[in-house]
Amino acid sequence: MTQQPTATVSAENNAWQGGRSPFNVSYGKMMMWIFLLSDAFTFGAFLISYGSTRFFSTVWPDPNKVFHSFPFMGEANLPLLFVSLMTFILIMSSVTMVLAVHAGHYGDRAGVTKWLLWTILGGICFLGCQAWEWTHLHHQGAWWGSFTDASTPIETIKHFFNAKATSHATFATGAGLQASHDFYNYFFTITGFHGGHVLSGIVLLSIALVNTVNGTYEKRGHYEMVEKIGLYWHFVDLVWVFVFTCFYLL
Amino acid sequence: MSHHHNDSNLHYYEGDQSKLYSGVLNHHFNQDVKSAESKKQIGRIWKVFWILLVVTVAEVIMGMFFSHHMPSWLVATMFLALTILKAGYIVSVFMHLGDEVKDFIMMILVPLMFFIWFIIAFLADGSFWLFMNTNTPVK
Repeated sequence: MTQQPTATVSAENNAWQGGRSPFNVSYGKMMMWIFLLSDAFTFGAFLISYGSTRFFSTVWPDPNKVFHSFPFMGEANLPLLFVSLMTFILIMSSVTMVLAVHAGHYGDRAGVTKWLLWTILGGICFLGCQAWEWTHLHHQGAWWGSFTDASTPIETIKHFFNAKATSHATFATGAGLQASHDFYNYFFTITGFHGGHVLSGIVLLSIALVNTVNGTYEKRGHYEMVEKIGLYWHFVDLVWVFVFTCFYLL
Repeated sequence: MSHHHNDSNLHYYEGDQSKLYSGVLNHHFNQDVKSAESKKQIGRIWKVFWILLVVTVAEVIMGMFFSHHMPSWLVATMFLALTILKAGYIVSVFMHLGDEVKDFIMMILVPLMFFIWFIIAFLADGSFWLFMNTNTPVK
């Protein structure tokens, strides 16, 4: 000891002086987290842009009026029921995903296989529901770039709004049409981007399933790949929680 | 909670990163998935599932029947609080972020603080735009 230490080096600082991983996480898992962080900003930008547009609109569609249908129930008025089912399916698939990761921690190949299959099934069901909802809204004239024609009869869009909005002075003179146009552009873009994530999640999960069944991960000695895809899958569920609030509740 | 890291295993981090997943740290290959510790963890997962389900059902019931009869600031605050609660459970338990070391948790959460500014700035800009378009300046 030739030198007096000027400050006490705590155990925590020591972790950063090389020789070990201060974050206690493998490289791949950390990079997945950083990717998800960047993806969170993409979705955040979409949703904040939606919020900004909504704040500068005099009227806005009422989710209870827009989302009130259920497959095979015809004209029955069932507000938010179908999207609740979709949310339930996605939460459920998140649970089966975390159970697959858990089984992987214990090297339980049969368990990983079973829970991955359930997760893939949940993802497919969710996409099926979304396809139905998109088709249903499309039949009502809604799509990207719809409701731009100023001669659109007011009856075409009136049922998307509540009485407070339709009685607004500017509703019939353009505000209703503009709000319908903006709402559906954001709706299809954001739920479409989310659906794209679900789809790529299903592809990744299917690859992991094949590798699990083939014993690739067992030979490797760990199921870290299942864990990383699991992080991605939970993130997709997490984004849905925010999409659900912004589009269907608020 | 912290079934992930154990100081006695720190030597596995030296050098070769692949040793992180040698089956020693995050993994319990030598243990049975039906063990008490495993069952405790599975119980925790299902508990979070029930919390998420109950919160979502409560949100939908409020959205269907009550939110139209409440002041809009209260509705927004309530739904946002419940959304953040759900997000917290998903991130901390399902994504196991709660089991990671504190520095790593901070690395993920601190950049998200930007959202506080983004939301305030963009929503304020939206309402200012509306104000400018619905109020004709007095000459």
